[in-house]
Amino acid sequence: MVTNHETAHMVDHEAEANDRVMFGFWVYLMTDLLMFAVLFAVYAVLHGKTLGGESGRELFSLPLALTGTLILLTSSFTCGIGMIAARGGKKNLTLLWFGVTFILGLAFLGLELYEFTELIHEGHTLRSNAFLSSFFVLVGTHGLHITSGLLWMAITLVYVIRRGLNSHLVRKLALLSLFWHFLDIVWIFIFTIVYLKAFV
Amino acid sequence: MSHPSRNTISKPSHEHGTMRSYVIGFVLSLVFTFIPYYLVVNRTISGNLLLATIIGIAVLQMIIQITFFLHLGRGPKPNWNLFFFIGTVGIILIVVGGSIMIINNLNYNMLPHDQTKKLTNDEGIYQIGGEKTGACQGQHDNHKVTIKNSQVSPLQTLASKCDTLTFINEDDEAREITFGTHPDHGSYAGEDELIVRKGRSKSITLSEAGSYQFHDHIKAEIAGFFTVTP
Repeated sequence: MVTNHETAHMVDHEAEANDRVMFGFWVYLMTDLLMFAVLFAVYAVLHGKTLGGESGRELFSLPLALTGTLILLTSSFTCGIGMIAARGGKKNLTLLWFGVTFILGLAFLGLELYEFTELIHEGHTLRSNAFLSSFFVLVGTHGLHITSGLLWMAITLVYVIRRGLNSHLVRKLALLSLFWHFLDIVWIFIFTIVYLKAFV
Repeated sequence: MSHPSRNTISKPSHEHGTMRSYVIGFVLSLVFTFIPYYLVVNRTISGNLLLATIIGIAVLQMIIQITFFLHLGRGPKPNWNLFFFIGTVGIILIVVGGSIMIINNLNYNMLPHDQTKKLTNDEGIYQIGGEKTGACQGQHDNHKVTIKNSQVSPLQTLASKCDTLTFINEDDEAREITFGTHPDHGSYAGEDELIVRKGRSKSITLSEAGSYQFHDHIKAEIAGFFTVTP
């Protein structure tokens, strides 16, 4: 009875700590969302200021943007599947699905870097005009988030390989998946407002 | 610790995702990615309707992902995450909507310098708020209108575009020349009001063709006409 009671108490304590950490991380995500919102506002205001240069319609490739969107969306899905495996304590499945998520994230980042280098090679840089400044800052900020998410994922997965799935690491993965879903949601708006809107 | 720690985390303090919720979310997200893409590429609809539609679908997809991937709103009550999210969305609507509204308004009301210059040259506007713009350069005739003993002479002036018109005030009080008929106060070529102090004169460039009236703002009976031929 005593051990049961203690275990129950520990569970409550752990759950409470989890809730607190989750809420704290949620608050961070919301402030991050505010930052993205301001960058979106800047883009919305400046996207017509091309200084006589080419506009998004001439510069962007819709199939490329769609490919990136599908890759990131799929990675968000595999991340969720990985989270189910992690909560079920299945170490290998967790590693598999988060590994797929990592590779998809890397592919997304590769596409974005390809797009950026193509633009810069053609002479469309951050300094060309207000439109491109706001574009590179908005999309680049998202790319930086993806990069840090990938780093975080790599480090956490190394810990999972070494130490197995303990409660601490599952919580880390849960925060990571929250972050990853969040980046996917931000990307939907980049896809819509930056890429699709350029062709409306 | 006889109990493996993984058991301690299995108590669902949050509603966690199931395979089903992730699959539903994924499929719906795919659908709502392809629909706007298809609409934009095939131009089934266009303009503001298309823009409103794709933004509406983006918001819908956000709600789908928040529900099926983030499982927001299905945790224990009270749901602080949800409250915080709604608060953030409120701030975003104010900041983003407000910024776009204010900056667009500024864009509309304050043209950049070089655009203003091009516009004034194209339209032949010689002065804006008393400042010369560079239009109407070169030699042109000068016409004089004298105001003496509250009489305007000549009453009517005929001039060509880009000529100058000088108001000479020989009275003992200042005259405030405005355009149009009393009590309406119009403006001519960007000038609203020309204050000519006693014994002084003031000139305007006739950069707009047409027939105009002018009068003293204080004594409306002091009035005259000028016609500018292009």
